[in-house]
Amino acid sequence: MCQQKDVRKFGVFPWKYGESFLVSFILVFIGFLIEFATGGKGISMPGWPANLLILLLFIAYVIIFHFLVKHPVKRWLSSVHAAISAISVFSFLVLLMGFIPQGRTSGTSFLSGLGLTHIVLSWPYLLSSLYLLFVLSFTVIRRLLPFSVKNVAFTLNHLGLWIVVVAGSLGASDSMQLNMMLSKDKITIPAYNDRGQAFDLGFGIKLLNFSIDEYPPTLGLIDTQSGELVFHKANLPEAIKGNKAKMGNWTVEVKEYIENAQKDDSARFMPSATPGAPSAYISAKNLQSNKIVGGWVTSGSPFVYRKDLVLSDGQAIAMTMRKPKKYISEIRAYYDMNKYEDFTVEVNKPVKFKGWTIYQSGYDEQMGKWSTTSIIQLVRDPWLPAVYTGIFMILAGALFMFWTGRAKNQQ
Amino acid sequence: MTWTDFPIFVFLCCGLWLAGILLLFPKKKIAEKLSHLLIIAGAVLLAVFIAGLWISLERPVFRTLGETRLWYAMFLSLIGLVIYYKWRYKWLLAYCILMSVVFLIITFFHPDTFDKTLMPALQSPWFIPHVIVYMISYAFLAASSLTGIKGLYLSYKMKPIVETLRLADNIVYIGFAFLTIGMLLGALWAKVAWGHYWTWDPKETWALLTWLVYLLYIHFRINKSSNIKLALWILALSFFVMLICWFGINYLPSAQDSVHVYSS
Repeated sequence: MCQQKDVRKFGVFPWKYGESFLVSFILVFIGFLIEFATGGKGISMPGWPANLLILLLFIAYVIIFHFLVKHPVKRWLSSVHAAISAISVFSFLVLLMGFIPQGRTSGTSFLSGLGLTHIVLSWPYLLSSLYLLFVLSFTVIRRLLPFSVKNVAFTLNHLGLWIVVVAGSLGASDSMQLNMMLSKDKITIPAYNDRGQAFDLGFGIKLLNFSIDEYPPTLGLIDTQSGELVFHKANLPEAIKGNKAKMGNWTVEVKEYIENAQKDDSARFMPSATPGAPSAYISAKNLQSNKIVGGWVTSGSPFVYRKDLVLSDGQAIAMTMRKPKKYISEIRAYYDMNKYEDFTVEVNKPVKFKGWTIYQSGYDEQMGKWSTTSIIQLVRDPWLPAVYTGIFMILAGALFMFWTGRAKNQQ
Repeated sequence: MTWTDFPIFVFLCCGLWLAGILLLFPKKKIAEKLSHLLIIAGAVLLAVFIAGLWISLERPVFRTLGETRLWYAMFLSLIGLVIYYKWRYKWLLAYCILMSVVFLIITFFHPDTFDKTLMPALQSPWFIPHVIVYMISYAFLAASSLTGIKGLYLSYKMKPIVETLRLADNIVYIGFAFLTIGMLLGALWAKVAWGHYWTWDPKETWALLTWLVYLLYIHFRINKSSNIKLALWILALSFFVMLICWFGINYLPSAQDSVHVYSS
């Protein structure tokens, strides 16, 4: 590992680590200064068509600079030294983001004044990303032109990343994410963004039906003082009729299970047609004293109070709340008064309507399976095809990298 | 098969693996063959447990950290063996196996799972490839960090390290390729589940940071005049960023709203 001693004076081309890191530090420092001077307001990215114009100007600038300028700074901008300084400083900002909670503090604290509570919208982040993007651009163009098959993996990775970063950040201001709160059998028109602004999208949506599939409730042994689970080394037994389980010092058997029950006048749980709660009759036997305790337990719901089965030794059997397995909205989306299309929307199964992607987002959790409200999210992201192109290029590049390993990727 | 059967599997797996390590070092061909057989048997046994758990839970076994550790232990033992076939480093294989044992024992004391349910957002065909690719990547990156530490030791002892560096670089390239694929699969899935491919959720932030530090190492090594010790330090420390991303994040105040913290 013989390393040539660097006898070059600082600042004289070709630039190495010293100059590269100095440039990136200065950029981030200027970023923090601007952020601080503007009161930590951050930046707002321009929308369509200004963002497209910026993109075209940027590409034109890089191409012209690449072909017409002979200055050694061009060589430096596509050097690995510049790349490392750019990645390092960008990583530093991401590291800050990893430790400082983002987007929650409002007001004028010191952190938010420096943009540290909204880093991705701050000046230092903008300048650091721009530096990274310039370095990436000149690196890509130097390897891309003239084109050589040898550079396929390199191009896929670097150009793919360039496309993702550019399309993702410039396209952010054109993407819209709106929420619509649907009520059963009503047509809803306004959709709201996260700042509460209402939008008329030119169509309405009716909630035809909302349903939830739930997992069966489980039984747990809890400490009556703390309310915490005592017994949790294995899977909790499900409250299904006939199910037997050993919990701590007790064997527990489910004698009766009613999916939807209400308490009658004699404190017994009976199947109910109106909203109730899952209930089970439990018989528990102490393994040491052979004492048997029996009674109803229910997880409770907005309609029925929770009830545990208290055992003798400061412990009780409780039923857990049922968890949703899936929730589904059947919706009718109207092109106009007479023309409509019906969809079934489910988590992980969005649908498309008039250029919008519709996601199942939430429901009235208080009411649970009795909810007649469904929240759907409507998303539009015109730059998405570009981002996906970049993502698939990087995926292909990663496969190349996996096959060829280090050797073929060397400069 | 449920978690109640786990202790016997831990006992058998660790027994097979530790015996495998011991048989690795005598300079006899037959001992080496036997050692590999024991290591594979351990991995297969663990795979059987995972499969059994999957069937009994009626859902993929990835939801909790305890469950991901099972996969990690299995992949790490196999990856140790694969790297051994290519590079013949006994110490690396022994390390991978020991790490697998440690992770099984951690999971034995903290199975942190008693839940059969899988929330709707996780019910997706993306779930399995996303997590498996990540676990393979983490296993490779762990191996690369140890190689980095070995390289540091050698370089402070003024011993030749060219071979060790070549090994480290190769493992990083493979691990990084998996890391990239895992992250992008996550992005594509996020688009389907939450409506956006990147939301700067704390887990995403740390995943990006993990990706960036390994990216930094790769670029640092491309420059032939770079300081080798510094490169090795970067490699050794990158592992900690990865660990924070994997489970340290559950303890970070900045991550309490994360949609990726499932263990609460």
